Amino acid sequence: MKNHARLFRWLLATGVCSLLLTPAIGRSQHAQHGAQSSATGIGAAASSFELKSLDGKPVGLATFRGRPLMINFFASWCDPCREEMPLINELAAKSGKDGYSVLGIAVEDTRAAIMQYVQEAKLVFPIALDLNSTVKRAYRIFGPPATFFIDGQGTIRDVVIGPMTSERAREGLKKAGVSL
Amino acid sequence: MNLSFTRTFAPIVVFTSLCLILAACNADLISPDSRPTAVTLSFGPEQRLGDNEKNPAAPFLRYNPDGRLFAVWTEDHDTPWPQANQPAKHQHGSGDRAPSPMRNALLAWSADGGKTWSSPGRVNSAVEAVQGEENGPKVAFIDKKAFVVWSIPGVKGDKTRANIRFAMNDEKGGFSAAQTLNEVNDAARFPIIETTPDGNLLVAWIDRRIDNPKPRQLYLMKLSPDGKALTKNYQVAEGLCECCKLGIAFADGGKTVYMVDREVDGKKIRNHVLRKSTDGAASFGAPVEISNDGWQVPSCPHSGPSIGRDSRGQLHVAWFTLGRSEPEAGIYYSLSKDDGKSFAPRQLVQANTAPETLYATLAVGNDDRVYLAWSNLDGGGKAQIFMRTLAPGGRAWSPIQQISQAKGNAGRPVLALMKNQLQVAWTETDGEDSRVVLRSATVGQ
Repeated sequence: MKNHARLFRWLLATGVCSLLLTPAIGRSQHAQHGAQSSATGIGAAASSFELKSLDGKPVGLATFRGRPLMINFFASWCDPCREEMPLINELAAKSGKDGYSVLGIAVEDTRAAIMQYVQEAKLVFPIALDLNSTVKRAYRIFGPPATFFIDGQGTIRDVVIGPMTSERAREGLKKAGVSL
Repeated sequence: MNLSFTRTFAPIVVFTSLCLILAACNADLISPDSRPTAVTLSFGPEQRLGDNEKNPAAPFLRYNPDGRLFAVWTEDHDTPWPQANQPAKHQHGSGDRAPSPMRNALLAWSADGGKTWSSPGRVNSAVEAVQGEENGPKVAFIDKKAFVVWSIPGVKGDKTRANIRFAMNDEKGGFSAAQTLNEVNDAARFPIIETTPDGNLLVAWIDRRIDNPKPRQLYLMKLSPDGKALTKNYQVAEGLCECCKLGIAFADGGKTVYMVDREVDGKKIRNHVLRKSTDGAASFGAPVEISNDGWQVPSCPHSGPSIGRDSRGQLHVAWFTLGRSEPEAGIYYSLSKDDGKSFAPRQLVQANTAPETLYATLAVGNDDRVYLAWSNLDGGGKAQIFMRTLAPGGRAWSPIQQISQAKGNAGRPVLALMKNQLQVAWTETDGEDSRVVLRSATVGQ
């Protein structure tokens, strides 16, 4: 009888476990190649990269090491990017005086289109071309715009997904170590 | 003892079996990969479209009713950008001329299922910056005549405040001078063009002539087979995602029109909806939510849905969403068995393999088989094109097939189906270079 009770408990546990665990198994079949854990969250070291600027010169995270950096991911076809760009450009114009740098990274775009946009929007900060989307993926960007505030030691201190506001830019720059 | 054993354990065995069966069903709902094998497609070799020196991109495919396969795509225009338009020297200090943003729309056809192609003909009469990406040119036919729409940036060069251009075959085999369809300048993009079953043309696009309170509208316009306007521009919906392509299907000889788009609400949640017209696209009913994915995103997804209708009147829809959290991200599918009144719970077709917006398109065969193509990252971190089919009746997905071998990235696949021929084309990019690739498969219809 004791054996029967043990068997009963075993079968019951098997049944319940099969019901509870199967969704997780189903999910994991898809997740095995799925998104890796974020390495670009606040407090993490910013992923290093090396891209080319519009004039073909190398530009990377290391270029800006030692002073706070604001990286803005954008595209010429992106509505909210265009909406926020006057503010990003204004921040870039003030960056030298306030002791930080601004880098634009163009994603899912072409050099010709970005060059036209630079002229149209009168952009005053350096632009890097992420033509193969490697940096966009490393920073886990599902769609532009996205802005990262990185301190002088290369640690991400704030992230804004979507269009920037003056208040969020000020907050992000302060977190990255800029005295405003 | 035996009787006691049976009394004790029979219900347990039944319960356990039921649990296992339910568990199996549950796994199937979540994981379509585990379904029985359906049709695996056998593709021919890769063909390239266009002049590789001119960076072909953004293909669109459609069969003419006469059986010829047509492709329209964009290419660099070889005239340099005027020196006066060069960007500031600090951005472009090489001293060389900057690459021109001007692009042409090219059209070519194949009478042998994509093996050989006619010489491409330029569609845009003037030099223009024909747009690509999610927003490339589209073609439709009335008899043997081709009608093409595309988008060009607005007068200040702004791609998001653009204009819809239209041209059609002339008597000499070329194209008419392009005309702008949007009556308010610098306010339209993402055009599509369809031949309606009553023999006219329907053009739809995303418009921004009214910026508040719902900032993007769905605008339509009807044209006759000689390219004359049958209607003015008219608005049928509002609250559309600003940067996501539209999908369309017809029924009842053109009286019923189904449109799908990614809608955006006040909280920036971007779910997909179906809009149905029963009066030949004169007006549309309230939107029906296809799936409550809950993707809240203030940035640009730049990826819209795709719809097809089968012979039984079922509507099939595919799309990309990130959902409520990143592990949900992937390509999803659903169908409506009640003419768009409701949709079945979404099925995951393939999960994201990396943080990346994916692009999906589907086509429905005459035998009601659904063909679905999309982009995702391969094991090496490069975006490739994948396909799977859904057997008629909707219960058996084929295994996932990778059909591209891009050295850089492959994206934005398009499909065309005619009788037993399936065509897939996409853009491959590698650094500053791009090309258009096409593959064909014979399918059982």
